[in-house]
Amino acid sequence: MHEAAFSDPEILLRLESIGRTFRMGEVAVEVLKGISLTVPRGQFLAVVGPSGSGKTTILNLIGGLDLPTTGRLFFRDRELTTATSRELTRYRRDQIGFVFQFYNLVPNLTARENILAATEISADPLDIDETLDLVGLTDRAHHFPAQLSGGEQQRVAIARAVAKNPELLLCDEPTGALDFATGKLVLRLLVDLNQKLGKTIIVITHNSALAQVADRVTNLRSGEISDDRVNTQPIPPEEVIW
Amino acid sequence: MRTLNRKLVREVIRSSGLLLLVASIIAVGITCYVALQSAYHNLDLARQRYYRQCRMADFWIDLKKMPVAELDDLYRVDGVSEVHSRIQSLATVDLPDKDVPINAQIISLPDRPAVVINNIVLRRGDYFGESRRNEVIVSDKFAQANAIAPGSTIHLLLNNRRQELIVVGTAISSEFTYLVSPGSLVPDPEHFGVFYVKRSFAEDVFDSEAAANQIVGRLAPESRERVGEILRKLEIALEPYGVFTATKLEFQASHQFLSSEIEGLGGIAAVLPVIFLAVAALVLNILITRMARRQRVVIGTFKAIGYSDGQIFLHFLMYGLCVGIVGGLLGSLLGYLASAGMTLVYRWFFEFPDLESGFYWYTHAVGITVSMLCAIAGSFYGARTMLKLEPAAAMRPEAPRAGGVIWIEVALAGVWRFLNAPWRMALRGLFRNRLRTLTGVFSAMMGSGLLVSGFMMTEAQNFLIDFQFHRMLRSDVDVTFESERGIDALSDVRQMPGVDYAEPQFNVACTFVNGPYRRRLGITGLQQDSRLTIPYDEHGKRIILPTSGIVVTRRLAEIMHLRPGSRLSLIPVKGERRPVVVTVAQVADSYLGLAAYADIHFLSELVGESLAMTGVQIQVNPRQRTLLFQQLKHTPGVEGVQSRGDVIQKLQETLLQNQYVFIGVLVGFAGVIFFASIVNASMINLAERQREVATFCALGYTRWQIGSIFLRESLLTSLPGALLGLPVGYGLTWLTAFSYNNDIVRLPVITAPWIFVTTLLSAILFALAAHSVVQWTIIRMDLMEALQVKE
Repeated sequence: MHEAAFSDPEILLRLESIGRTFRMGEVAVEVLKGISLTVPRGQFLAVVGPSGSGKTTILNLIGGLDLPTTGRLFFRDRELTTATSRELTRYRRDQIGFVFQFYNLVPNLTARENILAATEISADPLDIDETLDLVGLTDRAHHFPAQLSGGEQQRVAIARAVAKNPELLLCDEPTGALDFATGKLVLRLLVDLNQKLGKTIIVITHNSALAQVADRVTNLRSGEISDDRVNTQPIPPEEVIW
Repeated sequence: MRTLNRKLVREVIRSSGLLLLVASIIAVGITCYVALQSAYHNLDLARQRYYRQCRMADFWIDLKKMPVAELDDLYRVDGVSEVHSRIQSLATVDLPDKDVPINAQIISLPDRPAVVINNIVLRRGDYFGESRRNEVIVSDKFAQANAIAPGSTIHLLLNNRRQELIVVGTAISSEFTYLVSPGSLVPDPEHFGVFYVKRSFAEDVFDSEAAANQIVGRLAPESRERVGEILRKLEIALEPYGVFTATKLEFQASHQFLSSEIEGLGGIAAVLPVIFLAVAALVLNILITRMARRQRVVIGTFKAIGYSDGQIFLHFLMYGLCVGIVGGLLGSLLGYLASAGMTLVYRWFFEFPDLESGFYWYTHAVGITVSMLCAIAGSFYGARTMLKLEPAAAMRPEAPRAGGVIWIEVALAGVWRFLNAPWRMALRGLFRNRLRTLTGVFSAMMGSGLLVSGFMMTEAQNFLIDFQFHRMLRSDVDVTFESERGIDALSDVRQMPGVDYAEPQFNVACTFVNGPYRRRLGITGLQQDSRLTIPYDEHGKRIILPTSGIVVTRRLAEIMHLRPGSRLSLIPVKGERRPVVVTVAQVADSYLGLAAYADIHFLSELVGESLAMTGVQIQVNPRQRTLLFQQLKHTPGVEGVQSRGDVIQKLQETLLQNQYVFIGVLVGFAGVIFFASIVNASMINLAERQREVATFCALGYTRWQIGSIFLRESLLTSLPGALLGLPVGYGLTWLTAFSYNNDIVRLPVITAPWIFVTTLLSAILFALAAHSVVQWTIIRMDLMEALQVKE
């Protein structure tokens, strides 16, 4: 990865005029149109937008799962846009924790083993049992995903993401598949991770109510940033209503 | 239905890779069936035509000498339809450019062309002319191998006289379809040939005016089943003329080799394809079940629209049928080509006038039908699973499978703790998809079974050659005399140049009688401490010949129901022909032919002589080999000289050459089973777990690390399967050896560490080759798309 010319240690992520076009047969679909964004360390950022606004594409680009068609993307002072596939794998392994809408747990592994699958390849993982304790699932450690509720599965998924001890947690609609009460528990967990462990968190959601817990809210519409504001008074997850 | 058919065509094209893999396993099975069956028909039909054309005899009777005038008496024996007398003998040929004396079978033919039993088919030149008495027709391959053409002159040592003969033609005959010199296994046309001479010339040379020493005959078709009884009556009728042997067609050397090959082909054609078809049906079952599951929502929709269960069921059976048709047609084509190849090889071994590769439509029809039936059977279960579904339930995605602890992690909790997540996933995946795992294990078991049996077969051949030609028979040159000699002949041979060591041999033809069991066979008399023929017992321990009693080989003991201590009657076919009762001292191990051994003094006494010999075994100083051969060429009374080094070399060359082809084909076949079944299982597995793969990628696993999870699963099915295949291969070999066990060859069933090691290594290599396809797919997988895949 290339060194950026000017770097600020407090800036974790910098997107410079990022564009992403997908080719669907003979049609080119421009999903992102010159997005620029800077995310400081420790921020809880909510990216909000309707379906098709390009939220997931941004998350995939930041997570090193995809590369932009135009523009440059920096993690700290490293440019991801020019990284090799091996470097991107290393980046995902060491810096990123993914939380998916449908949890993406491995059905053949218990809760604890799902976390183990992540820590086994990490350079500096957290203790699995402490992580399980953190998400309140110590007593469910040896259950398989099919034996857990949706909320529990999402907590395992968060624990799996956190246990690698990454700098950045990327959450794709983390409450999308959960009921209201369970969703709030998951949000609380994310807020705690941000506040207590200092993790930078980017949550993408179509539900603007959830954004109320974030430090900053960026609105996306048709592949462009329509609004980007600092939330000076985030409210506790327990008070969110949607 | 037209829409469903259109959907079928598109789905088949979409899944053509996996469907073709299953079709390839079926194709191999059908190839085996069509090739072996066609080769069977090719040989069988060629044999029938050839035997008819040459008027093949039903029996051969060798005797000392009988007046031809007495021949008509034989027609009195009920069932005999035709007899013909000949003069036959063994002789040596002196070819100027060959050091080794060449052995020849001399057979008389009528001076003018006539329709006789065991007639010849001329290949080059003409039949005997009127003018010259010393004309000869030479067996075709011998002539080719030694550059002899009509018009050439050759010299034979006949009845101790060197005779010059003029070659007028070359020919083949059905009684020598498989032409091997005595004591050999494979044809060696360079060193052994048949020479047909005029009857008048043979009568002159062998002092047999109006007499013959061989009767060949044919039986009325309805009497052929009674051949044994008829032969006994003929033997009694010919008693005064000194019958040596009476051989029915079943025991005639060439016929025995040919028949055992034809029967062997028929046997393997029935067994081998079953292995491939069983594997194919199981693999197809997995594939069709997966295809049906994947289309669950579509099926629900079709049902909701109003398609009947029968239509949906047929639709899925059609997938299988497509595989069956492709596999069947491919197998049929490859089988035809393979049978043409096999026929070419058979042309080298067997001499037929018209061994052609035919197209047998019924064999192809059976092959394609069986292929389709196998494919339908393989798709039946998968197609049926879709019938049970209610439309509403079918339209909902399938509920995720319940996870749970598998028994192995409880049973082996201590070990389980040390396994990492990928190993645990692989193991649980295997135990949860039991049918898929069992199919993988079964396929690997059959693949490895095939390899083991192939390797064991080659090991058996090599062992056989080593045992028979290096451990048991140790002479360099065997000399046989035209008639019995006294012990002074041994001193003469010992005086010859290049003879390091020589031992006498005395062969006496006898009738063995043990209750109802009778067999005409030669007993070999050896020095008690013989160094050049060493019989071994079943434990591989050398047998010291007893001063009285005989040693019989295992196959002979089985046929005659003998065991150590048994007493049997021997009626020597010479001298006074007085039956004597002897004891079986020991049973010897042997893999070629039937044999009995006795102390040479004991055997001589048995036939009323002091010490006699019919041949000498020699150990030769290699540097003086040529000198010895030159002298033997001109030594009177020598009937045959066999250079065993040449025999072994020819045998090894021929067998090795065929072994390479055989092993190559077998490894290829086993490879298809391994490769196709592993790729199929892994690709289905991969398709079902795309999201898991993408998740692992997102977690930071490299694509190679993810691939290794799938590789673990492949190895965890292939290796146990391959291990289970070891005893299966042993069993297959045992079955083959059992079914091939005949009077000519007894195949030993032996194993060697290399067989198991090579088989397991092959299994690993095949698994790695199959995995490369899976790994390539993982590397090319679109992560974003995979992350969106619904469970």
